[in-house]
Amino acid sequence: MTFFPRPIFAICLLLGSYTCFANAQAEDNLQFSGFARVVMGYLDDSNAEYAGYDDSISLGEQSLLGLQADYQFNETLSITGQLVGHTNERRESGLEWLYVTYKPSNAFQVKLGKQRLPFFNYSDSLDVGFAYPWLTLPKQFYETSFFSTFEGLLANYEFPVSVLLINLEGYWGYYDDDIYSPDGGVETKVTGLFGFNTSVTWKNWNARASYNQGNTELTLLSASQFGEQLRQVGFERSADWLDPNGLIQFYQFSVNYEDLNYFLRSEIAKMEGESGMVPDIDSFYVSVGYNFYPYTIYLSYSKRDLYYDHPENEIPFGVSDQLNALAGGYVAITNGFLDDKSAGTKVGIRWDWRSNVALKAEATYIDADEKISGDFTLRDLGNFDGSAILYQLGLEWVF
Amino acid sequence: MNKYLCIVILSFLGSVKAAMANDALIIVANTSDASIQLTRQQVRNLFMGGALSYDLNAVALPPENHTRVLFNTKVVGLTESRIQSYWAQMRFTGRKKAPKEINNEQQVLEYLKTHQGSIGYLPAGMPVPDELTVVYKIN
Repeated sequence: MTFFPRPIFAICLLLGSYTCFANAQAEDNLQFSGFARVVMGYLDDSNAEYAGYDDSISLGEQSLLGLQADYQFNETLSITGQLVGHTNERRESGLEWLYVTYKPSNAFQVKLGKQRLPFFNYSDSLDVGFAYPWLTLPKQFYETSFFSTFEGLLANYEFPVSVLLINLEGYWGYYDDDIYSPDGGVETKVTGLFGFNTSVTWKNWNARASYNQGNTELTLLSASQFGEQLRQVGFERSADWLDPNGLIQFYQFSVNYEDLNYFLRSEIAKMEGESGMVPDIDSFYVSVGYNFYPYTIYLSYSKRDLYYDHPENEIPFGVSDQLNALAGGYVAITNGFLDDKSAGTKVGIRWDWRSNVALKAEATYIDADEKISGDFTLRDLGNFDGSAILYQLGLEWVF
Repeated sequence: MNKYLCIVILSFLGSVKAAMANDALIIVANTSDASIQLTRQQVRNLFMGGALSYDLNAVALPPENHTRVLFNTKVVGLTESRIQSYWAQMRFTGRKKAPKEINNEQQVLEYLKTHQGSIGYLPAGMPVPDELTVVYKIN
C-alpha cells in the first residue's frame, strides 16, 4: 500500500475543484473560501501513541485542507458545500457539510442537509484550527463524541433580552456511517438523534448548555451473537450488557470570558451510554490565556474519566463444560473493557502572523493511569508508564 | 524659565487632547427612524453578527485600517486575531457571515448613503450628511 493514497487523491480532487470553481467566481452569488492546517508532532515516549503520534516526527495526523462553496439563490435561500481532505487515513476525506439554508432574518435560520453535530463549543469546527487558540483541542474533552456529522434539520434563533443576547438552537436527524477507533471502523447507525442548546452572552461573558441524544446501533456481530447465546440459556443481565445498541446522551455546559488582554475557556460534559459496552464519560477542560497582539499564550488543563458499568458474572463456573465456556468467554470479553482516566496539561503560543495566517507551538503533558483501555486517544504500545509529552508545531490558514 | 515649561506642558496636553478627539468614533446608520440610539453592547453584538431588534446590516473596514483597530479596541473589546478566528468559526459552521468589508472611510460613507438599513463606523471628525443618523458615539 502506498503512503496515504486516499487523502492525497482527495486533496488533488479538492484543489482541482477549487481551480474550476475559481474561474466561475465572477458570479457574485457564488463564494469560495477555505481553511488549511499543517501540523507536525512528536511524542517523547516510544512506548505509547497519543492522538496518532509516536516517537517519530509526523505531519500526517492533523494536516488537512478544507474548501467551502456558498451559493446564494436569493436574499433568504442559499446552499453550502464543504469538502475536507485529511492526511490522516483514519479520517474520512470528502463531503463534510452539504446543506440548504433558509434565513428570513438576521435572527432566525434553518439548515437542512448534512451538517456537523453541535455537541460542544467546537464540535462543529474541529477541523478549523484557525478558529481556536490551541494547536490541538483538549483531547480529553473533544474525543468524547464518537460520531461527528448528521443528516437532518438544524434551526437557530437569536434574540436580545435587555443586556443579554440569547441564542437557541435545536436539531434533529440521523447518522449512518462508520465510526473510527484505533482498531478500525465500526458500522454505526444513530436514529432519533436530536439535541438543543442555548447560549447566553453578557458583556465579555458567554455561557452555553446543551443536551443531545441518539439511539445507537453498532454493528458488532460477535458481541451480538454471543449475547444471543447467553439470552437463550437465561442469562438476561449478561446478554443485556453485551447488547451494543442503546441510547447515548450528552450533557454539556461551558463558560467563556474574553477581553483585549485575557481569555478563559472552560467546558464540562457528561456522556452516558445505555449499553454495557458503551462507557460513561465525565470530562472537562479549563484554559486561560493572555493576548499581547499578535501573540497569545495559553495554559490548559483537561481531564477525562471514562468508566464502564462492570457487572458481576452471573454465569456459574464448574456446573458444566458448556457453562464454563460461556462464563469464560463472558469474563474475557468484559475484562477487555477497561476504565480509563487521563489528563492533559498544555502550554502553547499562537502568533497571528497575518490576519488569515497563524503559527502555533504547543507542548502537552499527558498523564494517565498505567493501565489504559487503548481504545481512545492514548495507546499503550508496551510498558507505558502513563506519562508522555507531545510537542507540536502548526500553521493555520483561512482564505 | 517656568513660563516656557508651562507652555511646553500646555502644548503637549493640547496635542494629547487633539489625538484623543481624533480617536473618537461614530457609528452611523442609514435608517428611516432617526431616533435610534444604540448602546455599546448593541453595537458590539451587531458587528459580531448578533441579532438586534432593529434590522440593520453592518459594514466594516479592512483589518489593517486604523479606524477598525480603534473600533475593535473601544467597542468590540477583542484583538483583531480573535475577531478573525471568531469569523472563521462562524463561516465554516454556517452560522453567521462577517460584515461586508469596504476599502476606506470615504467609501463606507458613500455606501451608507446609498444603502438603506446599512450601518458602519467612522472617525468622529468625518462630516455626516443629513440623511444618515449617528446612533452611537465613543470618545
